[in-house]
Amino acid sequence: MSEYGLRPGSAQLQMAGPITFGPAGILFLADNGLARVFAVDVADPGPAAGPEPFDLTDVDLRIGSYLGCEAGQVDIRDMAVHPESHNVYLSVQRGRGDAGQSVLMRISVPDGAVTDVPLDGVLVAEAAIGDAPAEDDERQDVTIPSGEQGEEVTFGGRTIRILRRPIRTSTVTDMVYLDGDPGVLLVAGLSNEEFSSRLRRIPFPFGDDVTASSLEIFHVSHGKWETAAPIRTFVPYDGGASILASYTCTPVVHFPLASLVPGAKVVGRTVAELGAMNQPLDMVSFTDQGEEYLLVANTSHGLIKIACRDIDDQEPLTTPREPVGVPRQTKDLQGITRLANLNGSYVLALQVDGDGRRHLRSLKAASL
Amino acid sequence: MSRTSAASIAWSHVGGADCIRLSGLDPKTLTAGADVQVRPGPAAAAAGEFPAMAGRLVRDGNDVCFVPRFPFVEGTSYAIAIAGRTAAVLTFPRRERPATTQVLAVYPTAAEVPCNLLRFYIWFSAPMSQGYAAGHVRLVDAAGHPMTGALLPTDSELWSADRRRLTVLLDPARIKRGLTAQRALDTGGVGYPLRRGETFWVVVDDGFRDAAGRPLRGAADRGYAVGADERRRVDPGAWTICAPPGRTREPLEVRFDRPLDHGLLARCLHVTGPGGRPVPGLRAPGPGERSWQLTPRQSWAPGAYRLVIDPVLEDLAGNSVSRVFDRDLARPEDEPGPPEPVALTFRLSV
Repeated sequence: MSEYGLRPGSAQLQMAGPITFGPAGILFLADNGLARVFAVDVADPGPAAGPEPFDLTDVDLRIGSYLGCEAGQVDIRDMAVHPESHNVYLSVQRGRGDAGQSVLMRISVPDGAVTDVPLDGVLVAEAAIGDAPAEDDERQDVTIPSGEQGEEVTFGGRTIRILRRPIRTSTVTDMVYLDGDPGVLLVAGLSNEEFSSRLRRIPFPFGDDVTASSLEIFHVSHGKWETAAPIRTFVPYDGGASILASYTCTPVVHFPLASLVPGAKVVGRTVAELGAMNQPLDMVSFTDQGEEYLLVANTSHGLIKIACRDIDDQEPLTTPREPVGVPRQTKDLQGITRLANLNGSYVLALQVDGDGRRHLRSLKAASL
Repeated sequence: MSRTSAASIAWSHVGGADCIRLSGLDPKTLTAGADVQVRPGPAAAAAGEFPAMAGRLVRDGNDVCFVPRFPFVEGTSYAIAIAGRTAAVLTFPRRERPATTQVLAVYPTAAEVPCNLLRFYIWFSAPMSQGYAAGHVRLVDAAGHPMTGALLPTDSELWSADRRRLTVLLDPARIKRGLTAQRALDTGGVGYPLRRGETFWVVVDDGFRDAAGRPLRGAADRGYAVGADERRRVDPGAWTICAPPGRTREPLEVRFDRPLDHGLLARCLHVTGPGGRPVPGLRAPGPGERSWQLTPRQSWAPGAYRLVIDPVLEDLAGNSVSRVFDRDLARPEDEPGPPEPVALTFRLSV
């Protein structure tokens, strides 16, 4: 692992965020409390697995049982599948507030055994994803709030209320690792202040300069409106040559990675809209009989399936209408919140049923 | 406390940690090592299928203590099984704590907001718990009805690092022009979340929990009138700089042509003085976020000054100095500007 810059250490998470696998079984974990990404050798114990499906009912109850809490205290933030063993990794926030803990859980395939993955005394590297302070940022400076927020401090016998900066944070919404030399971790985030479509590129192995470069990506809707918005979820596409991103305001946008050059204005092509009062939750691409497909989990409809061939053929959207964009099939698969490639034959879904119970379910690629 | 023929079982402490203490186990069990498993209540019925709670057994004299890897949760019941048979069910007690946390402020503080308003900020008096925003922050209309679908649902709530300030976004799909969602009801969309000419309230109810798990001392709300939409770039050229006399510590005041974003205002404006040095001091947004003041730490030296503006500074509708929220490609004047800071110059004389 030293070739990837991992050293013995600890990845104590403050707020569990998205996870994704990189090279050699290294898992990237975003911490939305510390504004960092950890690369951890999870030392997966499993043998290489085959193309069998894997299903597990009541995954939240099982994790809660192991962690000693009710299922309602188990917040599953993200899911990733180990590329060799197909063991399932879940980024979990257990409990809330001061009592909350971030835990990385492993569910063994095929027996469904639940355990937590130690993050102390492991091989680890880390990179900052927060916004670096501007050069002219007077760190000693404080502001007087107009309301009662901030804190009271005493200067020479006089007590005033001040507000210390910074309070800006960036929440990671999704991550994608692209293999290469060096590899690149792409990180999408949502600012708690400005409304922007910031995509960060972090070379991996993480260098000494751990601050990511970032790009603002615009997209055009209906040939008429150009806008930037936070990316909610995204997947590599076309062998890693491009990205398909889905936004909080629901367009699915295609942009080539080659255009991600610092300083360049990047404009993507809107290929689909998910419709009104709908939010994308997760995306995954899979191959069936040589054809690449995209699955989009979303809040309002069943799982949406789009043939990538249709994306390539799709002209940029110019007329708002519903449904809009590429031909898509809406599957009668409700309540899916997370997706991951299990193996070449199955896509793994985290699905909430009508009673609010969460299950892992394998979806056969050939039958989707 | 529950009792079995094998043991008495109770909450206790060992080595400074909370534990479940099993007393009166027979010596054979003690010698062989007790087969004790703990599961939180809902899983107890499926004891054979669901994993046991992670933890370790510690010998303490003639007692055995179960020390969990993850802390017991207040109000949660735990089933304790010895050799596969449920021996007791204990509920970890709740500590009664009075509510002390409250909402300090809701931003914007302007009385009227554009109908394409993008976000609110809610300040709390103490760090808060995540996971309550969706259920305890809502918009209600003049009749008191919840405005369903107005706010953007997010997996991850947007908190400041100290978890005292929550950012709440309105659904941008209903604000952006051209998207199906934003189009009027009769054309398949659902329209703006806010309606011009109407009033509405942001309500934070007292079920929102602080970091210690306590509810708020009370609910809070703030009412707004809804005005026309705002689709123009933020233009510092339309601002007024009220320069103080030199050699005083009077504040510099900058008046805006429209309310600006509370969060960004706190960090997007800087003043540099003669020689390009930053002017340290106390900064404060003015009423309704329509102005901004800088009170210098030291007296103003006469000379040339620059008000340096970070181009990410936005108004209430997400239009920034560098770009409008969504650009009509037919309007060349709305072409995004460079991401570099812009500056206004002014002179201070004696």
